[in-house]
Amino acid sequence: MPDEPYEPERAIAGTGMGGQMDLAASEAVTLEKMPRGPDGTERPAGRPRSLWSDAWHDLRRNPVFILSGLVILFLVVISLWPSLIASGNPLQCDLAKAQEGSQAGHPFGFNGQGCDVYTRTVYGARTSVAVGVCATLGVAVLGSVLGGLAGFFGGVWDALLSRVTDVFFAIPVVLGGLVLLSVVTSNSIWPVIGFMVLLGWPQISRIARGSVITAKQNDYVQAARALGASNSRMLLRHIAPNAVAPVIVVATIALGTYIALEATLSYLGVGLKPPSVSWGIDISAASPYIRNAPHALLWPSGALALTVLAFIMLGDAVRDALDPKLR
Amino acid sequence: MRGATHAKWVACATAAALAATACGGGGDGGGGAGGEVLSSSWGDPQNPLEPANTNEVQGGKVLDMVFRGLKRYDPETGAAEDMLAEKIETTDQQNFTITVKDGWTFSNGEKVTAKSFVDAWNYGAALKNNQRNAYFFSYIQGYDKVHPEKGEQSADTLSGLKVTGERTFTVALAQKWSTFPDTLGYNAYVPLPRAFFDDHDAWLAKPVGNGPYTVQSYTRGSQMSLRKWEEYPGPDKAQNGGVDLKVYTDNNTAYTDLMAGNLDLVDDVPAAQLRNVRSDLGDRYLNTPAGIIQTLAFPYYDKNWGKEGMDKVRKGLSMAIDREQITETIFQKTRTPATDWTSPVLGADGGYKAGLCGDACEYRPDEAKKLIQEGGGLPGGQVRIAYNADTGSHKDWVDAVCNSVNNALDNDRACVGNPVGTFADFRKQITENKMTGPFRAGWQMDYPLIQNFLQPLYYTNGSSNDGKWSNAEFDKLVDEANAEDDTAAAVERFQQAEEVVRDNMAAIPLWYQNGSAGYSERLSDVRLNPFSVPVYDQIKVG
Repeated sequence: MPDEPYEPERAIAGTGMGGQMDLAASEAVTLEKMPRGPDGTERPAGRPRSLWSDAWHDLRRNPVFILSGLVILFLVVISLWPSLIASGNPLQCDLAKAQEGSQAGHPFGFNGQGCDVYTRTVYGARTSVAVGVCATLGVAVLGSVLGGLAGFFGGVWDALLSRVTDVFFAIPVVLGGLVLLSVVTSNSIWPVIGFMVLLGWPQISRIARGSVITAKQNDYVQAARALGASNSRMLLRHIAPNAVAPVIVVATIALGTYIALEATLSYLGVGLKPPSVSWGIDISAASPYIRNAPHALLWPSGALALTVLAFIMLGDAVRDALDPKLR
Repeated sequence: MRGATHAKWVACATAAALAATACGGGGDGGGGAGGEVLSSSWGDPQNPLEPANTNEVQGGKVLDMVFRGLKRYDPETGAAEDMLAEKIETTDQQNFTITVKDGWTFSNGEKVTAKSFVDAWNYGAALKNNQRNAYFFSYIQGYDKVHPEKGEQSADTLSGLKVTGERTFTVALAQKWSTFPDTLGYNAYVPLPRAFFDDHDAWLAKPVGNGPYTVQSYTRGSQMSLRKWEEYPGPDKAQNGGVDLKVYTDNNTAYTDLMAGNLDLVDDVPAAQLRNVRSDLGDRYLNTPAGIIQTLAFPYYDKNWGKEGMDKVRKGLSMAIDREQITETIFQKTRTPATDWTSPVLGADGGYKAGLCGDACEYRPDEAKKLIQEGGGLPGGQVRIAYNADTGSHKDWVDAVCNSVNNALDNDRACVGNPVGTFADFRKQITENKMTGPFRAGWQMDYPLIQNFLQPLYYTNGSSNDGKWSNAEFDKLVDEANAEDDTAAAVERFQQAEEVVRDNMAAIPLWYQNGSAGYSERLSDVRLNPFSVPVYDQIKVG
C-alpha cells in the first residue's frame, strides 16, 4: 500500500476520464473513504481494504469499465458459443448471392464469394479473442517470470536479460511478422500466438523487473530477509503480490493491440489463413470490392475497431484503479 | 505510460501496413528522350531473359518487344507470317532450307545471319545450358546427343543444323513435322548476337536483340525501361518513344493507378473491378478472345497425387466445379467455361472441339462426391490449390472453386487456396517440383496451333509439363500427328491425343480466358493480339 494519501488525485482523474457520471462516482468514493488511519492511509468505514478490493470498488463505479466490460463479456460469450446468435456456417458460401446487400435472414449481406457477412463477422470474434487472450497470457507469464527473476537476483543475468530485451525491442513487429510467419504453412492460431509472445514478452519483462526492484527495497521485504526467509518465500509471499499490478495493467491494454496485430498480419496474408475465419482475412478479401460491396468491408472492420477499443478502454480503467500514480 | 505508448505504436503500425499494401507501386509516368513513353503494368519474369529459358508470360512479353524471329504471328489473326524468313523450303516435311532476309541487324550493329540462328538454337538445346525451352529443339536431329535424358551431353551442336551460306541454313528433323515452320515465331527460336556468347553476364544485365525496342534498364521488383530503337529495320517500327513496364504485385493496385492517371496501360483488369470497368473506362476497355486456357494441373511426382486410381479423384474434382457460376459472377462473363483442352481462337478447323471433355467438365456435385470416394478420397482429406496472388485475380476464382468443391462434397474444409506471393516465385516452386497439390496452370499459347496446347503441356518431359504427367499412348499419338502432311488429318490425331488427356483427366480444364485491358486517355491504337499481349509497337501516345 502506498503510504501517502492519494484521494484528490483519484477524483481529478475520474473527472477527466468519464465526465459527469464519473465525477459523481468519484465523489461517492471520496465521501466513503473519508475516515483515515493514523498513518494517513485511507480506510473505508469499518474494516481495512486491500489494493485489490480498493481497485474493484473503484472499477465498479467507472462507467468506462462497465461499458467496455459488457462489450467484452458479449464478445467472450459469442466466441464460446457463436451459434447463439448466428445459426449459419461461416464457410458455406453461395456464389449466386455474391455481393448482395442486406436481406431477410442475412442482415449484413454477402461478400464477394457469396458468404454471409453476419455469420463470418460473428465467428471472426472467436479467433480474435482467442489470439488476444492466449498471446496476452503467454506474454504475461513469460515476461513476468523472466523479468521478475532478473529484477530480484540482479547481477549478470539481469544485465544479460536487459540486453536481450533491447534486441527484441529493436525488431519491428510487422516486418518481423512478414519475415517469420511467411515461412509457416499451418493455418492454426498457434504460430501467430507464438510470434506475438516472442516479440511481446520483453515489454512485460521490463515492467516486471522494475516493479520487483521497487518492491524488494521495501522495509517488510528487508525484514523478511533479516528473519531468514528463503528467496522463494520472499518472491512469492512478499514481492509478487505487490509487483503484479503494473503487469496486469499493461497486459490488459496490450490485449487489444494483439487483436489488432492479428488482423494486420492476417490482412497481409501471413497471419491466419483460410479456412480460418478472421476479421483480418475478411477485411483483406473485401477491400478490392469496396466500390460494389462496401458492407462486406465495413462490418468486420467495425467489429475489429469496437473490440480493440473495448480492450484498450478496459485497460485504461484498470490502470486508473490499480496504479493511480501512473495517471 | 508505457502501455499507452505501446498501444499507439501498434495502431500506427497497423495503419501503415494497411496503407502500404493499398498503395504500393505508383510513381511517375515520365516522358523520355525520343518521343512519348507509355507505362504499362507488368510482373517480374521468372528467369533472366534468355529466349530459350523463358517459357512464362511476363518474360515472353519483353522478348516479343526486343526480338524478332523468322516468323511473326499477325497481331490481328494470329497467322504465322514471314518476318526474318525470306523463304522456308521443304519437299518432305522433314528437311527444311531456311533463307534469312538481308538487311537485318541487332541493335548493337551486328548483322543477323544464318549463324545467329544456328548458334542460338544450339545454345538453347544444350543440356549444360539448362534452358527451359530446350524441348522445342527435340525434333531436330542430334538432340539426343546434345540433350540426353541421362548422363552428360556427347555433342555441343545439333547435327541437324547446318549453316550453308551467310543467310541460309538447313534443318534436318528426326521425323516429319509439317507445321514446324509455323512454330518458328515462338521466342525460343529467335536469333542471338555474338555478345550473348562473348559476354554473357553483360548481355543478361542488358539484353541486346533485333526487335523494335531496346532494353534501357531493368530493376528487379520495380521497372523495366524499354526504348524505341530508331534504326530498327523491320516493317513494324514502334509508334511510341518507348515503354516502361512497371512491376505490380497486385492488379487492383495497377487498376487504381490507371484510374489515378499514374499508369497508361493495364493488361490484367482485376476481377473485382469488372462490374465497374465499363463505366470507368468506356471504350478504353478491351475485352477480346485470346488463346488462353486456365487449368488445374497436378503434381504427378508427388506420391499422393501420382498413385493409381487418382484419375477418379481428378475427374470428381472437375465435376465439383461450377464453371458457369464462377465465370458469370467472378469474371462477369469475361471467361467462358472450358469444354476441351485447347482454345476457341484455334477455330474448329484448327483443332478446337467444343464439348470434347463431355460430362467430366459439367457441374455434377453428386457424381463428383461419388467419384472422389471411389478414388479413395482426397489425399490427406484436403486439397490445397496453389496459385500466384499478384496477377489474374486468381485468389477470387480459387476461393470460388474451393467453395464450389466444398459445397459439392458437403465438407467445408475439403478445399482451400494456397497463395504464393508473386508469379516469379510461383513458377520457381513449380519448376523445382515443389507442388504438393493441384496448382493453377494458365496456358497462353506460343503459336496458334493445337499442337501447342497439347505437346508442351502433356508430352513426356514437355517444356511446360509442370506436373510431369507421362503417357505413352499420348506421346505416340502426338508424334504421329506431327508427322501427318495433311492438316486436317494432323488435327484429328491431336484430338485423339486430347481424348487420352481427357480419359485420364491429366489436368482439369476450367475456362477460356479473354484478353482484357484498360488504358488511359493519352493512348490510342491499343489492341491485344490473340495471345492477349498488348501490341505495344502500334500504340500511339498523345
